[in-house]
Amino acid sequence: MTRREAALILGLRESATPDKVKEAHRKVMVANHPDAGGSDYLASKVNEAKDVMLGKTKGSNSAF
Amino acid sequence: MAGRVIVNLIVMSSGVLARAFAQAYRQALQNASRNGVAHETIHNMKKVSKTMTESEARQILGVTENAPWEEILKKYDSLFENNAKNGSFYLQSKVFRAKERLESAAKKGAEGITGLNI
Repeated sequence: MTRREAALILGLRESATPDKVKEAHRKVMVANHPDAGGSDYLASKVNEAKDVMLGKTKGSNSAF
Repeated sequence: MAGRVIVNLIVMSSGVLARAFAQAYRQALQNASRNGVAHETIHNMKKVSKTMTESEARQILGVTENAPWEEILKKYDSLFENNAKNGSFYLQSKVFRAKERLESAAKKGAEGITGLNI
């Protein structure tokens, strides 16, 4: 996942601050939580988007 | 005398070098353009394969292989509404595309069945 796609998923700018990312992640996660009728796949994508935005993973095209 | 010979040599070798550089530069340009073309075709191929597969559509809506159309619609409605309220527009559009993809697949299946009936 690219940073661009991650920002789109969370509805943020690519330059959003970590606080904004966390807030947006909570909001989108509530809307797509598997326990509340959301799908597992979308929830995992939302989590991945948060990780990418916070720089925990560099996306799937990293060599390491 | 010796000086003239040396100057001649330098002039000649610099001419050869200049020609070699020009040729190398042309070759490099050619290679670059070829690589660029290859890069673009790969990019285009990626774009083509980016259209959603049916299995991905099912994953997005969280329905199984043999879920009835009503269940798909129910899932779609709730996901679409949730993302309209406080989700993201991007995920909402993904949900919509997933429904569209499954709809076309279902339609194709129905057409196939009617085709058999005829």
